[in-house]
Parts: sequence; structure tokens; C-alpha cells
Amino acid sequence: MAEETMQQPPAANPNEPSANAKKYAWTVPPAKTAILSHRVERVDGPAKVSGAARYTYDINRPGMLWARAIRSPHPHAKIVEIDFSAAKQAPGVRGVLAWKDPGAEVMYQGDVVAAVAADSEDHARDAARLVKITYETLPFSVREASSKDPATPKIFATGNTRPGQATDVGDVAAAFKSAAHVYEATYDTQVITHVCLETHGAVCEWTGDKLTAWVTTQGVHGVRQQLAAALKIPEANVRVICEYMGGGFGSKIAADASVVIPARLALVTGAPVKMMFDRKEEHLDTGNRPSAFSKVRAGVSADGKCVAFEAETWGTGGAGQGAQFPLPYIYQFANRKRAHLDVYINAGNQRPMRAPGHPQGCFATEVLMDELADLVKMDPLEFRLKNLPPTAPDAMWGEYFKIGAKKFGWDKRRATGEGGKGHLRTGMGVSACQWGGGGRAGNAHVDILPDGSVVVKVGTQDIGTGARTVVGIVAADTLGVPLSTVKAQIGDTDLPFAGASGGSTTTAGISPAIRIAAGRAKEALLARLAPSLGGDASKLEIVNGRVQVKGGGKSLTWKAACKLLGQEPISIDNAWEPGLSSVNTSGVQFAEVTVDTETGIVKVDRVLAIQDCGLVIDTLTAESQVYGGVISSINFALFEDRLLDRRTGQMVNPNMEHYLLASIADVPKVEVMLMNMPERGVIGIGEPPTVPTASAIANAVRNATGATLRSLPLHPHRVLAALEAHKAGRKA
Amino acid sequence: MAQNEDDVSAVSRRDFFKTVGVSGLATGVLAATEQQAQAAPGTLGPGPVPVRLTINGRPYNLHIEPRVTLLDAVRDHALLTGNKRVCDRGTCGACTMIVDGRTVYACSTLAIETQGKKIRTVEGLANGGTLHPVQEAFCDKDAMMCGFCTPGFVMATVALIEKFPHPTPAQIRHELNGNVCRCGTFNRVLEAAAQAGGVNHG
Ligand code: FES
Ligand code: FES
Repeated sequence: MAEETMQQPPAANPNEPSANAKKYAWTVPPAKTAILSHRVERVDGPAKVSGAARYTYDINRPGMLWARAIRSPHPHAKIVEIDFSAAKQAPGVRGVLAWKDPGAEVMYQGDVVAAVAADSEDHARDAARLVKITYETLPFSVREASSKDPATPKIFATGNTRPGQATDVGDVAAAFKSAAHVYEATYDTQVITHVCLETHGAVCEWTGDKLTAWVTTQGVHGVRQQLAAALKIPEANVRVICEYMGGGFGSKIAADASVVIPARLALVTGAPVKMMFDRKEEHLDTGNRPSAFSKVRAGVSADGKCVAFEAETWGTGGAGQGAQFPLPYIYQFANRKRAHLDVYINAGNQRPMRAPGHPQGCFATEVLMDELADLVKMDPLEFRLKNLPPTAPDAMWGEYFKIGAKKFGWDKRRATGEGGKGHLRTGMGVSACQWGGGGRAGNAHVDILPDGSVVVKVGTQDIGTGARTVVGIVAADTLGVPLSTVKAQIGDTDLPFAGASGGSTTTAGISPAIRIAAGRAKEALLARLAPSLGGDASKLEIVNGRVQVKGGGKSLTWKAACKLLGQEPISIDNAWEPGLSSVNTSGVQFAEVTVDTETGIVKVDRVLAIQDCGLVIDTLTAESQVYGGVISSINFALFEDRLLDRRTGQMVNPNMEHYLLASIADVPKVEVMLMNMPERGVIGIGEPPTVPTASAIANAVRNATGATLRSLPLHPHRVLAALEAHKAGRKA
Repeated sequence: MAQNEDDVSAVSRRDFFKTVGVSGLATGVLAATEQQAQAAPGTLGPGPVPVRLTINGRPYNLHIEPRVTLLDAVRDHALLTGNKRVCDRGTCGACTMIVDGRTVYACSTLAIETQGKKIRTVEGLANGGTLHPVQEAFCDKDAMMCGFCTPGFVMATVALIEKFPHPTPAQIRHELNGNVCRCGTFNRVLEAAAQAGGVNHG
């Protein structure tokens, strides 16, 4: 994330490997490594399966109070009065807080106005209902179309829309003139919310002027900085802890109201305060993926070369936030032009969500690619190969398409619309993704203690990707000790700074620092042991925890060797250095679906995901990231949709029964092919695999039925409408 | 025309099926509470009352309001925080406990109505330092990411294996269909459940 890179000044030449990077270069895995790149079970698995892992939601402090927010029921209103008098009399109430003052405006349903703290969660809820807030309602819009309409009165202080950056490359007009085919269509994707299973929240406790905050967050250090700023206290007085967290997907980077409110209420009540949002609050006010609309015109040459692209795009990031997305995505149009408009509506603001912008841009582009391929009568895969950027280590789509086609059985794909005769039709689709990843913000501290303990401290956090395991693997593999020897400490601002876990930057940000710190620690240890083992440190090695003279001779167990350290442990710090990590990944996915043409239900039968991420640290957990990305993209394709009622401005499905998500019965057979590229160093894999599945599914539906779905999610009514339109020879 | 601009707000078939699924699951819970209600003495509450629960074989004497759910009683009063609260209304399975041999959504069950029953939470599965075979399988297969849905999935899988010691793929999908995972661990949960049941579904 941008915030993260700002905190770490870039090196003089970001690509030039440092001396340490050369010295401690990765051993090329996996044949030559003990555990690096192997299938390693996550080190905190037993804690997670047994309930021992303590999430913020699980923190209970002596004398702890519960806080509850009071939120606007209106999509747009002015606060006239806030009356706490009844709430203050309610059983168990210990403190109240006005988050906004009378006169201020609320801009969406769920905008926070006030909060209360009470001795139990139920009492806090009871009291929250008694806070009387008088509003003067104001005009609102919850539709992109009405906000865009010049006839709609101004709702937002800066206007209802804001033009985004425009692009204009080449000679678009001439290219369209020369094109053999020109095609026009409009694509759109819906707003979805993050639905973190652990809702946003924190437990805050003051000791004198020092604050300890347990926060469910993707960035302990960033939250400390923002929390200190919000409370106007020194950062040194704030400690943020996040041992385990139940999902963030981009929504848990900042110190928002879920953190600042309990901190302030803890101060006024003199007791620890816990605040965890409920499911409705989570949907309304903790971020979302913006919508994306693309009105596209594209030109192709007779031999299937994409020559011209023109698009008008818009989308909403809520009440004042942007909705940018890349377009066209990956494929090359030599001449292209685009104008974008951010549209504001009275709904909760967007936050980064797993690969921000990419799934949206990917959908419009990939569905268009299939439509263009049919226009020039080419196989969609051939057509893609013809229009990809040149193959490079960070642009491997062409190779992956070929490998995948073979593996997936692409040759069995039938022509568009020929997916069978009965009401069940099957079809295949493909799609590609790219992501930057990389990361530079990581510091590691390695201790080798005289009793043989190894402690590795990194102030990162595990958002589910397996960061704790990555820390352990890199240190253990570098030192030559078993993974169980290493105690990885993360999730605490008392540990060395690491950036927020966003943008697939964590592993690439921390691994180089750990690799070098552990390498230096090993060297220091061997130097100390040399006198006892023949005098020459360069002749020593550590294999599976045994310190030995290379090629045979004296050896010591790890414990015996560390004992020789006496009173003084080995203690080494190192920051991230260039040369052990990199940026930019590529991937492709294939999907096969069955469409029930009578009910409109789409079932995904199988998915093949081919993905690289540079050096794979742990094959097992890296694969999990790909599985997870695929599932999350299936959700985007088939289920999720934040529905707003245009007349009341209310979200009609702020729950988990009408806000649909896949369950285990919806899950296809997924095959993951991780392309290990150890020579590129560590990059990161959290976001890219969630980009392409949805488009591959939409293309597979088109292949099966001949009906083109240009609008997500593929709910049955949409599929049926598209089938109708197709039958009638209309464009849906 | 782009369809999201002018959304059809009619309930889709998929919504309809999902709703039916949810009420179907809730029936079991209701049946249990009805029985209890008949046995319960006059009116209780709204203030705290003594509630005696047997959790993982241990007695807990709690002093809680009658409205407190089993989930909140276990998490906030017995301080066993392994089972999670996610939706708090019986749609996600994160709070799944086993009460008298049946899985229940603890968020949608009143604590007071589970008195005299055997309540099992995720903390009760391991035997000292030894994980339950289902827990082992979840670790082996990496059937977790953030881990917040995991205790619920583990409990549902334990109930599955107790009901069908060697489950078929259809039985696994059916019995675990009441649990949601946002990180997307489903494929690996399927593998873990198969391993725990000693079956290989390829
Ligand atoms: S928390 Fe009980 S079902 Fe979701
Ligand atoms: S592992 Fe994160 S929700 Fe399932």
C-alpha cells in the first residue's frame, strides 16, 4: 500500500542487490533446502484449531466495559440534537461520547454519530437505543445513474462527481477507421463488502497516560501512528497488539472509529473498553469494493489484432471516495483513450479490497476479449495470445495459457453457444491477472539464546496468509535449525517496524530482513563456536540443528553449541535490503461451468489456477492463498451484491443470509499450479489469484449458452434475462 | 443497458433457496428450546439469574440474564473464547457447538435452555496436548487461513465424523454446508474432512 512505502525511504537504486543480498542470496529451492519452498504446515495451526488463538474479539480484561456505536439511520441528514439523558440513566451505563456534533451532516446509513459504554454488551445495546438523535433529513442518491444525472441537486460539498485521470495514447480515431470490426458494449460490476468474519473492533486499556490497544488490524504500526495522532498523544505511549485477526482483505489498514471510540471511552470511564461492530455495522461502514461501469468501443483488425480502444468509465466508492480501476487490462491496444468519472452516492465509503480495481478491469476486458474473438472467428485463447504483451519473467501469460490449455483440456471446448442440447449446458472460459506485490517495509530482530532458543521478532501481523509461518521458515532455513526451534513473534508494536499487510507486500517486505538477520546471526554464532570446533568458522556448517565441521569431524548438538555462548546471546537486527525480493506477478485461470437454462443457476464445476509469486516460501500456505482467491472471485461472480433501496437509501441485505456467499456445497474442484521462480526473489500472492476467476466464469457461461453476461453478479434472474435476449437475437 | 443501474430487486431463486436452507437449519434448535420451555419454572429475569451449564464435562455456575445466548455465556462468562461470533443470527456456523450430540448455532440458542445438557465447545476436543483427529487433519491439510471460521468448521466436522465415520463426498458437503469461510478454505476443509473420516475422494 502507498502508506507503507512512504514510511520507508526508497534505496538509491531499488533494483541493485545490496552486498548482504548477494552474500545471503536464497538457496535455490526446493531440492537444496531443508524447508524453504516445501509444504510446511502453519506453525499456529494447532492454536487456531483448538480455540487457543486469541483474536481481538476474544480479549476479556478485568473490569472491561463494552461500547456500542449509534449510527445514522438516514442516508443523508443534518444532526440537530443529540440527547444522552435517557441513555445515561440506563442500567450499567458508564460513559457516552458524541462522535459528531449537532450541525454536522451524516452522509450515509451507518455513519457514526455517537457511542456509549456500559458494563455488558447487552446493556450497551440497550443504552444505545435510548440515545435520542434528532435529524433534519436531506436529499440523497444511492444510484450511480442518479448521482451522474445533472438534474440531481448537489448532495456532496465538492459536487456529485469528480473526473478521474484520462488517458489518450496513439491515434485512436485513425485506428478505428482502419479496424476491420468495431464493437461496442457496456460492462459493469457491483459493489461488494469485505465481510471480514471477525468484525472491526478493538479493546483499549489505559495505564496512566499509556494506552494498550488490541486491534483487529492489518497494520499494527500504522494503527499506532494514526491512533496517537487521533488522541493527540505521543506514539511512544501507544502499544498496539494483534496476535491473530479474523480477516481484513484491505479493510483493516487504518485506525477508524472502531479503534478511536473505545480508546476515548476507556479514557473517560477509566476502565478497559471493548467495541466490536456487529454484522450490520460491518456491511455499512467498514469499506467495500467500488462498482465499475465501462462503456467500451473496441476495434480489431481482420487478422485478430486489437488496434483501438475507447472507454467511458465510472463507478462509486461511496460518499466521497474514488472508484478507479485499470482498463484495458493486460491486453495491448496500441491506440486507446479513456475518460473516468468517480460518482458519489450516499453509502459507506470504499476501502482497498483484495487487488483493488483489478477484478473490475479484468471483467470488462476479458468478457470483451471473448466477444471480439468471436467477431474475428478465432479461438479465444489464440486471440489472447495474439494480443498479450511480450513474454517476460513478469509477463508469463502466454506460457501459462499454453500449459493450462493442455492441462485443462481446452481442446474439448466447443464453439460459443454449443454447450449441449438439454437444459444443462457446459462451457469453458479463461482469464488472466497481474499484480505488483513486492514490499520494502520490514525489519527483523534475531536472537540466538544460550539455551538454544531462537527468537525472531518482526512487527508484522498475520492476516491469514501465514506470516508467522513465513517468519519461522525463513529463519529456520537460513540458520539450519528445525522450524520448531524458532519462536516467531509478530503482531505487536513493541517489535521492529514492518509495514501494513496490504497489496501482497508482507512476505516480500519481511523475508529479506529475516534472511539477512538470520544469516548474520548464524555467522556470528559460528565465529563464537569456532575455537571449540577446530578454529575455522568458515569450515563450519549447521545442518538440521547440528553444528559440524564440513565434510566430517567434530560436531555439536544445537543445544550444546548454544550453551557455549555463555552469558551473551547472539542478537542481530536487519532491515529490508534490495536483491532478495521483487515485484510483478502473472497468472491465468480456466473455469468450466454448468448452466441450468431453466433456472438460470450457474454452477462452477472446476477451476485451474496457474500463478507465480516469485520465490515460494511455503508451498502449502501459498496454495491456500490461491484457493482462497478463487473462492472469493466465485463469490464476486455468482453471489455477492450490496443492495441499496433507492427510495429509502437503506442497505436491504446487511446480514449473511441475504448477502450471499458461497458455502462448501458451491465449491468446485480447484487445481492450483504454483510456478516457483526462486531466481526472482519473494513477491507476494495474496491478491492476484482473486482477480481472474469471475471473468473466466462469465466467459464459460457465454461459451455454454451463447448468452453474454456483461453484468455481475450472475444471479439467476440476470442469466435468464441474458438467455432470453440471446434467443430473441437481442444484445442483453 | 447496464443492469446494475436499474436493479431488479425481486428475490432471486438463489436467495429463496438460501432462505429456506437457513430456516431448515434453525428448526433443530427450536425443537430443543421448546422442550426446555415446558420444563422451565415461571418467569425469569430480566435481571441476572443463576444458570448452571456443563461445558466440556465441567460445571459452570453463571449469574446471567435469561436473554444471554449460549455463545455469549460461553465466551463472555465462562471465558471460553474458542467458538466465534460472526453473524450472531444463525447463518454462518462460526459458533457451532455440540449440545447433547447435535450441532447447534450457539448464537441462536439461549444459555438458560441448555442447562442439564452436555455442551461441547472447540476447547473440549483436544486430549491434553493431543489434538483430536479432526483438528490434526485441519492442520495437515492447511484447512484454515485467518482461522476465524475454523473452530466452527472443526466442530461441524467432528459432528459429521461422529454421525458418518466414513463420510461420502455428498455427506461432507451436506453436513458442512452451514458454515461460511470468507478466506476461502473450503477445498481444504473437504480434504481435511475426508482425511478425518479415513476416506480418499481424490
Ligand atoms: S455466529 Fe452463530 S451462526 Fe453465525
Ligand atoms: S479462514 Fe478466515 S474465514 Fe475461514
